Amino acid sequence: MSNIAKELNTKDLLLKLTSIPGPSGYEDDVLNEIANVMKAYSDECFRTPMGSLVCVKKGTGPKIGFFAHADQIAFMVAKIYEEGFLRLTGVGGWDPKTIISQKVWIHTKNGKLRGIVGFMPPHLQTTEESKKVPDYDHLFVDVTMNPNWKDISIGDLVTIDVEGFEKNGTVFAPAIDNRASCVSIIKAAELLSKLKTSAEVYYIFSTQEEIGGPGAKSGAYLSEVEYGIVIDVTHGDEDIPGYPKIKMGEGPAVAVGPVTNRKFVEHIQNISSKYNIKTQIEPIPGRSGTDTDEVQLTRIGVKTALISIPLKYMHNPYEKVYIKDIEDTAKLLAFSATELPEIEEGQSC
Amino acid sequence: MLKYLKELTEIKGVSGYEDDLREYIKEKIKDKIDEIYTDRMGNLIALKKGKGGKKILLDAHMDEVGFMVTNINEDGTLSFAPVGGVDPRVVIGKKVQIGKDVTGVIGYKAVHIQKDGMMNTPKYSELKIDIGAKSKQEAEKQVKIGDMVAFTTQYEETEEFIIAKALDDRCGCSILMDLIEADIQSENDIYFAFTVQEETGLRGPAIIAEQLNVDLAIAVETTTSGDDPELEKQLWSTHLGDGPAITFMHSGYVVHQKIFEKLVEIAQKNNIPFQYKMRTVGGTNARRYALTNIPAGVVSVPARYIHSPISMINKKDYENTLKLLEQFVKEA
Repeated sequence: MSNIAKELNTKDLLLKLTSIPGPSGYEDDVLNEIANVMKAYSDECFRTPMGSLVCVKKGTGPKIGFFAHADQIAFMVAKIYEEGFLRLTGVGGWDPKTIISQKVWIHTKNGKLRGIVGFMPPHLQTTEESKKVPDYDHLFVDVTMNPNWKDISIGDLVTIDVEGFEKNGTVFAPAIDNRASCVSIIKAAELLSKLKTSAEVYYIFSTQEEIGGPGAKSGAYLSEVEYGIVIDVTHGDEDIPGYPKIKMGEGPAVAVGPVTNRKFVEHIQNISSKYNIKTQIEPIPGRSGTDTDEVQLTRIGVKTALISIPLKYMHNPYEKVYIKDIEDTAKLLAFSATELPEIEEGQSC
Repeated sequence: MLKYLKELTEIKGVSGYEDDLREYIKEKIKDKIDEIYTDRMGNLIALKKGKGGKKILLDAHMDEVGFMVTNINEDGTLSFAPVGGVDPRVVIGKKVQIGKDVTGVIGYKAVHIQKDGMMNTPKYSELKIDIGAKSKQEAEKQVKIGDMVAFTTQYEETEEFIIAKALDDRCGCSILMDLIEADIQSENDIYFAFTVQEETGLRGPAIIAEQLNVDLAIAVETTTSGDDPELEKQLWSTHLGDGPAITFMHSGYVVHQKIFEKLVEIAQKNNIPFQYKMRTVGGTNARRYALTNIPAGVVSVPARYIHSPISMINKKDYENTLKLLEQFVKEA
């Protein structure tokens, strides 16, 4: 009896994974959930010393890794006032404009407590105050509604309490950066379980990307992969002067630039044409700001590619993604691994 | 007590779209009062008869602050403008309801690709609602210009506090409903006016003086507090937990002296905790009643963070406001 006969539903999986908080350094809950799903498609799963989850599909051919970070941006309690108010500091890059008047959870040692990010009503503001968005020195969280708010300690994690939903083929949810990519890897693993391939495939769900941490690199090091595809998100439907507009719903963006291996990228583009999977091109002239930058430099070097899922409202409480873009990314990943090319050494950029 | 507040706050009713609130309230109270009708503007007016005493009107406004769809853009997003006073800094990253049943999100360009001035207060003209529509045509199938846009915050209650949207002034509506429920025996005729369009300029009650011959009115409100770390104590307006706020003056109206003094006297006599509202900013329907020759007073439940998607009151303040008004309609 197979328990994997039923195909995973992309939307449900994404909503499930985005509902589990996993701030940088605190990814256990979300990685445990991913491991639960992934064990059906893996010969083994393990955690690296830096916490990243590595799932392996054994093979006799070359080793390839798919990397997606599983962490998300969050806050920590920086200051506690005697009257029951907190100040926060960001774990990762927030836009203060998006935080005001949100419900939050404070994750204390004794469970989670309610908080709300307060804001002065217009009646009580001065004209001068109304011109600026408050920064972390002025944003505050009200926790007075909890009889036991004194359980809160400096350093407790704080997450915004919003719930994802689907609308017209898109999903609005927190932490789609980068759970969408995690879902694309899971879907690729599902596909590869049905396809023929000789490659040994490493599915790596890594930690601490949002703070530039060591998660993905530790996965690349332990797996000793020859090929590595990093899956992350990029700004969709935004005009960025001098660059092509990456469109939502038009397929994943394949990066070109020095952090990727040119021949490997060409291979992925060929796969895209061969299997009619829509892709877009994203030029990245220097560092990408993703895990690709570090994965490339692991051990004797990794032949890297970066595939980005178009996402709108990055680092907002609700981010937006097209379900189809995630599914196209999964196909592109799976087929890229089934027919890996021979690439001579020294043919990076 | 508090039987209706959850549902009252979760119903969407931005100024001009109070219909669902009115239907809800009417349904719940119609068998518990002597007369009830809806007037030409949409105010819901109910009467509980006394025995020839004074005619007292209690006012609570049904409407909440929110937005209206002002344009459907080529890319399928919606432009919108505030209805009532909503600071543009509290709206980004919120889920909203458009019309009866369309859900959307007010998103903002990623922080990574913003230019200089990212700490400036955004303008409404820069903000858009995203309903996941890929084009204007697709959006037009779901929404239309003029549709109401409301926040979607779910009600929560803890031991001492209530967290919800639209406590200003569903809290007042709830108190009026609780007073009706309490079936107060009084010499006085009590009119309960659930009014429309307070947030867009105290408009609903403007037509009440022509319809009813009342001796005085009390605006039952939800008011600002400011008791948080961003404001020095001497600038606080009220403090949660200290009881109902009694107003002596606010924007455009000095409260009728006799009514103000009577409210204070009744609170003191009955040992009901109360506080004076310490800031004179903001206005209430009391001003509108005064402008139409009805002397009026104001009693409010103090609330934090009103005019945002999420506000908070202390349940004891609610209870003491209810007590004060109950005594007032008996003794005034």
